[in-house]
Amino acid sequence: MNRITNRSWIVVVLALALVAGSVLFVWEFVTQGPDWVYFSGSPHVYDGLKPEKGVLTDRNGVLLLNLGEGTYATDSQVRRAMLHWTGDRQGNIATPLLSQYLRQMTGFDLLNGVYAYADAPGVMELTLSAKVQTAALEALGDAKGTVAVYNYKTGQILCAVSTPSFDPDDVPDVAGDTSGIYDGVYLNRFTQVTYTPGSIFKLVTTAVALETIPDILRQDFTCTGVLEVGGGTVTCERAHGTMGLYEALANSCNCTYANIAQQIGGERLQRYAEAFGITGKLSFDGYSTAAGSLNAADASLYELSWAGIGQHTDLVNPCQFLSFVGAIANGGAGTVPHVVDRITVGDRVTYRAEPERMDRIMSADTARILREMMRNNVEEKYGDENFPDILVCAKSGTAEMDGDVASNALFTGFVMDEEYPLAFIVVVQEGGYGSHTGMPIINKVLTACMEVLDEE
Amino acid sequence: MDALLSQIAGAGDTYVNVYLGFLRWAAPILALLILLRVCLPLLTFRREPEIWAWLILRDGKKLAITHWENVIGRHRNSDVVIDFPTVSRSHAVLTRYDDGSWTITDAGSKSGVFVNGEQGQIFALTPDDVISIGGVEMQLQPITRRQEQRLAQIRTQAGSFFGSLVNVVLLTLFQILCCLGLLLGGAGDHGQDILLGFGGIMVCQWALLLFYALIRRSSFEVETIAFFLCTMGMAAIATVVPGECVKQLISLVLGLAAFLGIGWALRDLERAKIMRYLATAAGLGFLVITLVFGREINGAKNWLIIGSLSIQLSELSKVCFVWAGASTMDRLMNKRNLILFIAYSVMICACLALMRDFGTALIFFCAFLVIAYLRSGSVGTVALAITSLGFAGVVALRIAPHALRRFANWRHIWEAPLDGGYQQTRSLMCMASGGLLGLGANQGYMENIFAADSDMVFATIGEEWGLILVLLMIAAVVVLALFAVRSASVGRSSFYTIGACTAGAILLVQVILNALGTVDVVPLTGVTFPFVSNGGSSMIGAWGLLAFVKAADTRQNGSFAVRMNKKGRDEDE
Repeated sequence: MNRITNRSWIVVVLALALVAGSVLFVWEFVTQGPDWVYFSGSPHVYDGLKPEKGVLTDRNGVLLLNLGEGTYATDSQVRRAMLHWTGDRQGNIATPLLSQYLRQMTGFDLLNGVYAYADAPGVMELTLSAKVQTAALEALGDAKGTVAVYNYKTGQILCAVSTPSFDPDDVPDVAGDTSGIYDGVYLNRFTQVTYTPGSIFKLVTTAVALETIPDILRQDFTCTGVLEVGGGTVTCERAHGTMGLYEALANSCNCTYANIAQQIGGERLQRYAEAFGITGKLSFDGYSTAAGSLNAADASLYELSWAGIGQHTDLVNPCQFLSFVGAIANGGAGTVPHVVDRITVGDRVTYRAEPERMDRIMSADTARILREMMRNNVEEKYGDENFPDILVCAKSGTAEMDGDVASNALFTGFVMDEEYPLAFIVVVQEGGYGSHTGMPIINKVLTACMEVLDEE
Repeated sequence: MDALLSQIAGAGDTYVNVYLGFLRWAAPILALLILLRVCLPLLTFRREPEIWAWLILRDGKKLAITHWENVIGRHRNSDVVIDFPTVSRSHAVLTRYDDGSWTITDAGSKSGVFVNGEQGQIFALTPDDVISIGGVEMQLQPITRRQEQRLAQIRTQAGSFFGSLVNVVLLTLFQILCCLGLLLGGAGDHGQDILLGFGGIMVCQWALLLFYALIRRSSFEVETIAFFLCTMGMAAIATVVPGECVKQLISLVLGLAAFLGIGWALRDLERAKIMRYLATAAGLGFLVITLVFGREINGAKNWLIIGSLSIQLSELSKVCFVWAGASTMDRLMNKRNLILFIAYSVMICACLALMRDFGTALIFFCAFLVIAYLRSGSVGTVALAITSLGFAGVVALRIAPHALRRFANWRHIWEAPLDGGYQQTRSLMCMASGGLLGLGANQGYMENIFAADSDMVFATIGEEWGLILVLLMIAAVVVLALFAVRSASVGRSSFYTIGACTAGAILLVQVILNALGTVDVVPLTGVTFPFVSNGGSSMIGAWGLLAFVKAADTRQNGSFAVRMNKKGRDEDE
């Protein structure tokens, strides 16, 4: 009998195998459980490929989307203004927000799983303001483009409207439309599109010049209206005469900037632009912006001249450029923009956005001088009277397009006020002169922003 | 009026939600409490040997004989160690029978066994006989009835009946809470079925407890574990196929009948040994019948369809295999018996290869390995090893192409979530969605998955009742097996010890294949979780195996399948 008893360890081995397998499973459960829950098609979280439930509100609690019930905002204008963030029912406009924060939206935790999700799905509060969004939508009117404002200290995007848009509760016949008013309607022009920057790119060129050319502020530039470069010509609208750097930016003098671009050199301009993030992608809240482009490194002198002016093959993404301007406003190091402020499940806050600082991209001095120059632009050129209630620092751009179409109007800058640390960008396709088209739009939007901030 | 009605209905909803929320916590806590109360005694009981006789040496030394089968020899693992050069390592086997008589058998010793000066192979012993082993003389003195009664009084009782009563009360409370949860959680038209199913389990367990009280048995731990597992199985069936609750209850009743019947048969070792031939024949017969009349479902010819009944006879065959594999010590020493068992295993192996049921084959193979290892002394190890290799080879060759498909997705299920890994990925998604406490009774999605009440039942329960509860289910089976191992050292006969250990091993292997297969730790093979999975044959098989565990439980007043030791020779000191 003793021998049989001694051999019974083989059963213990099997028991240990079962225990070891169970421990392995528990380990996987703990470490990979969330991945399993949020794997595409997971039955308790997904309805097909979309999250099953979730509520989206603006920063003041205005309902934008209730996914579980399939309803949008009650106000048609709000629905239109928010379309590119809420998505549509057909899935033509995707919104990564709910998928990105599925774990926080379901209130998943190891103890309860997604128990709470069935009855009380999460509420995602965006940093966007429905009021500002509608103001921006109305300011843009029938034009195609985008208006965006963000707090460069906290990263909160208060406004990011993309036009054209439509009411997801009253979907137009986009496919059958021949008038062109819905061209690119499914694109979020703030994040997904790149534009030729035109003269707003001179901010980049100026920043590189300030960083790399020691005597750039002491240099005098002379503009005759035309500059011969490597077999081609760079032209200004008129001869600007002799001027310093401040005046050159205020005049947006192409000839001067062609000169500066040559002084910087293509390779160096390219390297700095990349370091500024102009050519990269910016990622936040599940979004990844379109990447800009600059081809200065191997460019001819002529091409380099135009590249420094913001033409050639230059492309920037509005969101990406906005964060660059935010970095200037914020002393040389920006803050990553974001649209999700916080998520609550019942009484529990499962996510709260924190300001995420980006690496310093320019010296504080460079940033300070750029701020002064942009302030100078408004004082000397654009006119403070266009912004009755606020001090604005800005740069306009008028991007010439190929073919027989009007130029794209761009206008970017920030508010010079500790109370309202707001940076902005406006792009109006075929909008003509940047400052002329952009200023009235951004004035309305900034006013709305300040009203919203005052109320909070 | 309408407003009032809807308000009442709404209030009802609130109460339901509050109750289901409460149950999420109550169920695992209560289950933990029950299992702690039940498992601790099984794992910590004092192993007090029963004393059956004294071996009195010439120098007056008295050696206690604590088993019914005792190897006498020089080897230190012998039950009676006589360290004398002329004594063989395993010299003789001293065997006690149900009627209290004793024999001594020569276990192939070099110098032979002598009784009263005569050499022979086997002798019936009386207290006056002088046994001589390798020149060492001794006499066997069986204990008297009075000694036996006194020993019975001294030995610790296996738990108290009151303790068992409390356990069953707690289990009943658990069942009522679960049943209520399932009814409130949305039972639809099947409320009656669910009530019958759960009510039936309660009646069964109370009837069994009452029966034990009548025959003065106080231990109910092993049964409590089984009824707990049956309860979880019923909960899964109530969610997935509520219409089959009553069918499962009938299976449980049949299982209990098998449990009591096999337990009764094992109670008398002579009877058990005779019925072993019947079981051996039945074990093979079941497989042959399945092969001849069976129907192939999902690639395995493992189903016998009679009218609306579908039976998996291989589940019953498992129990018979355990019976056939068990053997008493005197026979273990005999090579012929080992060869017969090997031949039998080869025939079983052939049937399984023809059936092409990979999961079942694996269970039999593991059972074979365990039996082979437990049985084989120095004599048969090699033969058994070769046979097992052949067993594995034949099964592999025959079943490989069919089984390979399952292996292809093993640990790669997320690469084919809609194809080969569908069942497992859904299982993991659902279990993780349930967290540690589960989503609540009847709130799961697993019911939409194929075999949610049988092969994937682990995930079905995990999703609704939480990870803690399914881990408790695994722990419960582990405890059953460890109890069988712990009982081994105080076992009466190797017949019972081999039976109990093999039964425990089969239960373990089934849980490994079922639970760990569901969650992709091992390949999914489509094996049932004992006591839990929906299926009559599986239920009967599980209870049959449990009878073997009970038959090895020698704690005082512990088991109905063990006679109380009061049958010593009626003789005064």
